[in-house]
Amino acid sequence: MEATSNPRITCGYLNTYVGRNVIIVGKVIQLRGDEALIDADGNITVNLNRDAHLLPGNGVQIIGKVNPDLSVKALTSMDLGTAVDYDLANTVVEISHQHKGIFA
Amino acid sequence: MGGASSQQGSQSEGKKKYQDDSLRPVTIKQLIECKESYPNSDMMLDGATLTQITFVGQVRSVNPQTTNTTYRLDDGTGVIDVKWWIDADKIDDDNDAANRQLTLDTYVRVWGRLMTFNGKKHVGAHCVRVVADFNEVNYHLLEATYVHLSLTRAAQPKQDDGDGMFVDGGYGAGAGAGAGGSGYSHEVSMRRARCSNKAQKVFDFLANFPNAGTDGVHANLVASSTGLSRVDVEAAGAELLEHGLTYVTLDDETWAVLEV
Repeated sequence: MEATSNPRITCGYLNTYVGRNVIIVGKVIQLRGDEALIDADGNITVNLNRDAHLLPGNGVQIIGKVNPDLSVKALTSMDLGTAVDYDLANTVVEISHQHKGIFA
Repeated sequence: MGGASSQQGSQSEGKKKYQDDSLRPVTIKQLIECKESYPNSDMMLDGATLTQITFVGQVRSVNPQTTNTTYRLDDGTGVIDVKWWIDADKIDDDNDAANRQLTLDTYVRVWGRLMTFNGKKHVGAHCVRVVADFNEVNYHLLEATYVHLSLTRAAQPKQDDGDGMFVDGGYGAGAGAGAGGSGYSHEVSMRRARCSNKAQKVFDFLANFPNAGTDGVHANLVASSTGLSRVDVEAAGAELLEHGLTYVTLDDETWAVLEV
């Protein structure tokens, strides 16, 4: 089932996941056309697909592929509203990397 | 649910089953990887019998059938099929049917049991509901980790015992920790987990440095030994100080760990 697991990552983990599908939870900082700047413990540039509906200031979950230049090509994006606990999300990323046995 | 066991009439057996029943938070990867200890026995996970489970996941597909609705759920750790059986008395209930038509990609929470049918695992759901607050997803993942660690590291103290300055094992215990971050006390590993990768690396180095004592280790030595740049080491040092994991000793750039 390796192909179906998408690790949860933050900005700091991008370079170890180039070419892989990942889950990123962060805050939308800026939208520029089909590009978005997401803060997930550091800023990440995300190339959006057409059906993305992001709002600056809202939380978002991106599932996408990490490009060699450490930007992320979004496959799906989901608006999470404003009540997202980012510290919690970042902690979960750290915990999930410490306990890969039960995560991806 | 559990139809196969209904033939076992013995009361003592029934009681035993009931006692073993716990509601365990899990990740989908745990469900995929868990095994029966021998064929047709209960599923085991981390040495405990797996009975009732709860997990969260995103709906990837919905497949309504006459007797149940099958969902494919994905929580990032894996994908599993969930069958939600329709109550006989609700079969013509439009309200019930509407509840079952979950929108794709929404997060839902499932309560149920892990089943094996023709060698393929699925979850027989008692109940499925939409997750209204996204943070519940993260809470669940932490809860699943907590239970996993409670079962696999039961020998270690589960609760942190306050901000005690002295931890049994001390540096010796840290030496065996390696890069995985295990071997630290609960409190220390929690704080360490909140640091950046580089800070964690520096902390591991400091904690495992032989004979560091109270003099600590200078930033230059940390940089040359860990392969990190001086700038990174300084930033990591400041981060560790901020998190209360280390303290400065001889000068501003010599650090020792407070506790491991």
